[in-house]
Amino acid sequence: MRAPDGPPVTAGDVLLSIDNVSLSFGGVKAVSGVSFDIRKGEIRAIIGPNGAGKTSMLNIINGFYHPQEGVITFKGEARARMRPHDAADGGIARTFQNVALFRGMTALDNIMAGRTLKMRRNMFWQMLRIGPALAEEVEHRHRVEEIIDFLKIQEIRRTPVSRLPYGLQKRVELGRALAMEPELLLLDEPMAGMNIEEKEDMSRFILDVNDHYGTTIALIEHDMGVVMDLSDRVVVLDHGIKIADGTPNEVKSNQAVIDAYLGVAH
Amino acid sequence: MFYRETGQFKTSYAADMQIFPIRQDRIALWVLLAVAFIGIPLLNAFHIWPFGNEYMLRAILIPFLILSLAAIGLNILTGYCGQLSLGSGAFMAIGAYSAYKFGTGVHIPFGLFDLSIPPLPMLPSILLGALMSAVVGILFGIPSLRIKGLYLAVATLAAQFFFDWVFIRVKWFTNYNSSGSVSAPDLNFFGFVVNAPIERYLLCLIFVAIFALLAKNLVRGNIGRQWMATRDMDIAAELMGIRPLYAKLSAFAISSFIMGVAGALWAFVYLGAWEPLAFSIDRSFQILFMVIIGGLGSILGSFLGAAFILVLPILLDQVPHALGVPISVETVSLLVFIVTGALICWLLIVEPRGFARLWSTGKEKLRLWPYPY
Amino acid sequence: MIAFGQFLEVLVSGLLAGVLYSLVALGFVLIFKASGVFNFAQGAMVLLAGLALVRSLDFMVAKGLPFWAAIVIALLFAAVVMAITAWMVERFVLGPLINQDGLTLFMSTIGVTFMIEGGAQMLFGSDVYPLRLFPSDAWFLFEGSFPGGILVSKIDVWGGLIAAVLVVGLALFFQKTKTGRALRAVADDHAAAQSVGISLNWIWFIVWLVAGLVALVAATVWGTKLGVQFSITFLALKALPVLIIGGFTSVPGAIVGGLIVGAGEKLAEAYLGPFIGGGIEYWFAYVLALVVLMARPQGLFGERIIERI
Repeated sequence: MRAPDGPPVTAGDVLLSIDNVSLSFGGVKAVSGVSFDIRKGEIRAIIGPNGAGKTSMLNIINGFYHPQEGVITFKGEARARMRPHDAADGGIARTFQNVALFRGMTALDNIMAGRTLKMRRNMFWQMLRIGPALAEEVEHRHRVEEIIDFLKIQEIRRTPVSRLPYGLQKRVELGRALAMEPELLLLDEPMAGMNIEEKEDMSRFILDVNDHYGTTIALIEHDMGVVMDLSDRVVVLDHGIKIADGTPNEVKSNQAVIDAYLGVAH
Repeated sequence: MFYRETGQFKTSYAADMQIFPIRQDRIALWVLLAVAFIGIPLLNAFHIWPFGNEYMLRAILIPFLILSLAAIGLNILTGYCGQLSLGSGAFMAIGAYSAYKFGTGVHIPFGLFDLSIPPLPMLPSILLGALMSAVVGILFGIPSLRIKGLYLAVATLAAQFFFDWVFIRVKWFTNYNSSGSVSAPDLNFFGFVVNAPIERYLLCLIFVAIFALLAKNLVRGNIGRQWMATRDMDIAAELMGIRPLYAKLSAFAISSFIMGVAGALWAFVYLGAWEPLAFSIDRSFQILFMVIIGGLGSILGSFLGAAFILVLPILLDQVPHALGVPISVETVSLLVFIVTGALICWLLIVEPRGFARLWSTGKEKLRLWPYPY
Repeated sequence: MIAFGQFLEVLVSGLLAGVLYSLVALGFVLIFKASGVFNFAQGAMVLLAGLALVRSLDFMVAKGLPFWAAIVIALLFAAVVMAITAWMVERFVLGPLINQDGLTLFMSTIGVTFMIEGGAQMLFGSDVYPLRLFPSDAWFLFEGSFPGGILVSKIDVWGGLIAAVLVVGLALFFQKTKTGRALRAVADDHAAAQSVGISLNWIWFIVWLVAGLVALVAATVWGTKLGVQFSITFLALKALPVLIIGGFTSVPGAIVGGLIVGAGEKLAEAYLGPFIGGGIEYWFAYVLALVVLMARPQGLFGERIIERI
């Protein structure tokens, strides 16, 4: 099911490229003329002050917003206007700035829901829940339990997510995205509102995901320490325009970035 | 004390994913089924209270079972998939009238060529009738792809009023019966004619047991998770690859199918002869209340809600009698209005998730008893 | 010329009947605008107001009070009944449900509907009570232009005038008064409004009171036209498609929606009815609303919803 079309992309090649993309709502420009790429297997950070267009960028990547201009190439194919679930089909998963879990469901069901695209049995079999349908449920439950073990959330699997503390909710949300076995994982402020300890946990999970599953990750984060430690390359947006792109060290010493963050006298 | 899961180990995920993972619950269910399938018929056969007389079966158990089924249908749509519907009555009516047409023979004069289907046996009639309901359900579900919540509720009202009108005005559906009232054909199942109240009861029980199991399997499987995901956060669900079209329309289809079966049973088994009024907007609200009071997103809750809404007026009728307070029939019906309304408000305040949530909270307490946590 | 005269007559009577829908829809819009609650009980409130009015009026006329005095007292009495209802709804239902989601609140108003319907009929009786506040005969206009003229009933015209006054009054109330501003703030965001010191309980009481008074106005017109009776609550359901067409949050939308529905269903009945069977009025409004929804999900006057994540 993964990557149904196009040749597999090997590590280090460009997985997703964004060329001269612009997006506006009515008269307000959210993103204008931004270009950058994400290479297979890397951790790519997108940073910038509030309102820089970072989340809009993620929304463009997974098809929730449609840019008025520009080309997005994913796995070597230029993408036409698409629905969000097509992006999911293609192997793009994400988490959200404000946790967007399914509040009425347990942690286990939330993560199982991430397996939707991988489950093949039709409604008739599910209704009977015997033979192949049951076998499929069990098989996917195995995969989900692996993720639950990996994220160390065994004891809360039966808890409705609305009762979980924020940090754990973020972790379940990561689990749900991982259950999709994505090729590209988009994380929107995975550490917002966390304390040091939780941030360390989450950082380790992100590195492990990247390491073990070879998942390419694009993340938005405000904590500069975390960004500098985790990411291979950083792109900096400000007011919808790209102002810098490069390794963490290059970006750190870039004058435009310092101005954007500290403000500059005009 | 006896309600403990300690020592019950699961060695496979299949065992862990049963409907009732706790042994005591399973025993309770089997006892309940035994009572329903064997105990009640026995009591009835030997005329033992309270199931010795027909009243209990005709006025309480049979409508309870059928309306529970309808509530399960609505619960799939509203409770699991989050699409508010005020048109349950219409889908029940479509099930009932279509089953009636299939049962008495369909004849559509197309002018050049006539479409004629001879009268079908009872079971296929009911299932085909339900299928019709599912098809119409999908049609009226299409707006749900663009509109949400209360807007959608009004769209389903359109179904309700339109089909009320259709079954009153289009004489073809009532086989040109001058009074507009329709009588059910014989309840002939594979040569066995269901007639006595206890047989009617068992027939409903079989239908309800089977459909409740199928519905439970659906809601705890992949499609059920898609429904709930759509209900809880439709945008996130779509970004995870859940197609809103498939999730919503399948909920409409399954839900209207079940409501169609319930409608056919209501008309054929409970009423025997009926008028379009049997499926008016009042019926839709009655079923919606069952779902709200029982618990949105719970199959068990559908049964609890149906029991409650059905028993309430009977109790209100009996209690003053028992106390010797004379109350007119009209006052009772107004009292039912007031008490039902007050209970809905009260329940929404103390527990918006209905009886089912109270029930599961109670069970959780019982598991830990006598310790608070 | 006869055909055109007939068309005009149907159109005018439809538009004026639509005003009645608008009056009920106005109550919905008010509560929805100010509290985000979709108030299903608006129809029941019209019934309650109508019953309180007509029964107290009959009582006082029977006691020998002059008619004008009886009307004033009866109106006051009905207004007090609506105030008590508003207070009870706020105190016992909506107050405890503060900060619940829209669907829960909507369902609670269905509960309120049942309580009001049961209570109103238990207190004031459940027959049909004729109400005579406005003249119920008709004018014949343009008799020179069309044979027989165009029949316009006076009560419908009164309804139109009252609706116009009401809309102007409400618009002033919302835009110019401090309470009106607070109402709009609450509509935008409950929690934020609370945090700047607006008392939600007070606001909800006010808005239910205003909706109750609007219901009273609607009841005077409807009651004169049809008699005060239980079936008023069903006609009130027609306000739902009116809202869909006009948009939940728009006062002018409620008026225009009502006119469209009123005229549409009368015209459909007159010109489509003979072909597909009578009684189209029964569902026409709903199907019209469905069509509008498919084209414009937020209604003709509703605000466009931008989805964010």
